[in-house]
Amino acid sequence: MVHKSIVSPGTLSVEPVVRIQGVSKVIGSKRIIDQLTLDIPAGQVYGFLGPNGAGKTTTIRMMVGLMSISEGDIWINGKSIRSNFESAISDVGAIVENPEMYKFLTGYQNLLHYARMSPGVTKERIMEAVHRVGMQHRIHDKVKTYSLGMRQRLGVAQAILHRPRLLILDEPTNGLDPQGIRELRDYLRELAESEGITVFVSSHLLSEMELMCDTVAVIQQGRLVDVRSLETGIEAEGAIRETFFEVNNPRLAHELIGEGRIDKGCLIIAADRDKTSQINAKLVNAGISVYGIRAVTRSLEDQFLELTGGGQID
Amino acid sequence: MIDFTQLIQNENMKIYRRLRTVIMFILILMFNLLFGVLFSLDNGPGQLTAWDAVDQLSFLYFLVVIFSTVVAADIVAGEFTWGTIKLLLIRPWTRSKILGSKLLSVICFTLLLTAWFLVTSIAISFILFPNQPSVIFGQGANPFAYIMEKLLYSYIDLLVITIFSFMISTVFRSGGIAIGLSMFILFTGNIFTMLFNPIRYPWAKYMLFTNMDLSQYQNGGGNGVTGMSLGFSSVVLAAYIIMFLLVSWVVFNKRDVAT
Repeated sequence: MVHKSIVSPGTLSVEPVVRIQGVSKVIGSKRIIDQLTLDIPAGQVYGFLGPNGAGKTTTIRMMVGLMSISEGDIWINGKSIRSNFESAISDVGAIVENPEMYKFLTGYQNLLHYARMSPGVTKERIMEAVHRVGMQHRIHDKVKTYSLGMRQRLGVAQAILHRPRLLILDEPTNGLDPQGIRELRDYLRELAESEGITVFVSSHLLSEMELMCDTVAVIQQGRLVDVRSLETGIEAEGAIRETFFEVNNPRLAHELIGEGRIDKGCLIIAADRDKTSQINAKLVNAGISVYGIRAVTRSLEDQFLELTGGGQID
Repeated sequence: MIDFTQLIQNENMKIYRRLRTVIMFILILMFNLLFGVLFSLDNGPGQLTAWDAVDQLSFLYFLVVIFSTVVAADIVAGEFTWGTIKLLLIRPWTRSKILGSKLLSVICFTLLLTAWFLVTSIAISFILFPNQPSVIFGQGANPFAYIMEKLLYSYIDLLVITIFSFMISTVFRSGGIAIGLSMFILFTGNIFTMLFNPIRYPWAKYMLFTNMDLSQYQNGGGNGVTGMSLGFSSVVLAAYIIMFLLVSWVVFNKRDVAT
């Protein structure tokens, strides 16, 4: 995976779906969020990454009005969450942490409950959302009989009922099994691509973010540390990566090739694909046994740990 | 504002779709039946008339008070306990409107439960006891009017405790504390009134407890010495209700939802 450099807020020509401007959250004498400024462009799956306690959930709670904003303001589609809450929030669908539902009601009654709170959500639309998340067979069962994965689906259904332009998901993969995580990830990508919904998703799992997001903002200790866009897809042809050659005689191999270094019994050379195969041929011709070749990408994880200093919480 | 009824519908769904609520209605029926039968056995036939029995059964109204308190205790705190408050507050409705819909639904519930209590106690009394001139009420009296007046006073008592429970539920986000404190007020009110008698302590006439039982003024009864009257108590109770509601609104609007 290749990481493009920083996208600075303000360089994007299209009006962002979310504009977070100088937002702080002060509780007592502690600044939980400090002067956070972030633009979320339309149509993207936008990741919000940070170690636990970095302020992801607090930021999201301020975005949806669950927590008050101490300084600054947040605009959703140009409408202020502070001064124009009802209008701003009507474009938002969200799951904040686990999607808790009324367990004594059926899945359908839960959706009906939220449908009544948004204008223009018909019964047909409820069933459409139910089909989208594949819950049509169990929707009339009580929620207390649902598995966590099913509750998660119901959570997504309630979030998309009113066709929001922005979907906010706080740690959506928490507690899901790998199968559930995969389904959710595919589903979110599809939503962003087919319906043009902007998805803002927080996580402390980097691998998740790499698979799901177009852009990732990294937050640590309440401050924005980095914003970078991710290009997904196949590795570019000419990419140079650290390549490990596992051989029977690393020292001889090192002398033969004349570059690189030796570590843990391996010869390590920075090489692209062509060079890798050439080195391999050279080694084999010289009678050196090559047991394995392994290219190592510096993952987002490494970069993230570098940025956040190992993710320690103050 | 036509959509506001949708919020009430939601709150009603959350009250009446619970097994608990059905049990409350059944219990009121069962207790009225139980005590109706007990009275009829104890006194033998012919002693109590139907209206006398209705009056006797009115002590069971404390069940309605308790059930109302429980529903009020849960209506806000429950959302926090279940975690559903997060999904509830991110809709295009201000917090004031959401709290308002909850309060109105609770009041509707108390009215419905009161009506159910009245209907069942009258029905059971008229099935078990003869419809004859009352022994207790005497000649020429209108027992129904008397019972309704007494019920109205009891209902106001209920309303004060229910709104108190609603406030505690909103402030502490705990149904348990709300129920506990409301029960404390309900059962210790008389003790407080005895300890701090308005005749000895002038300030005590402004206490919630001394004013809650409006039936003390029924049949022309009143507290001439201390200057307490039906009007006086009504104003004091109204002031307390407004205070409870103000506290609820301020806290609910300001609260950061961080659970």
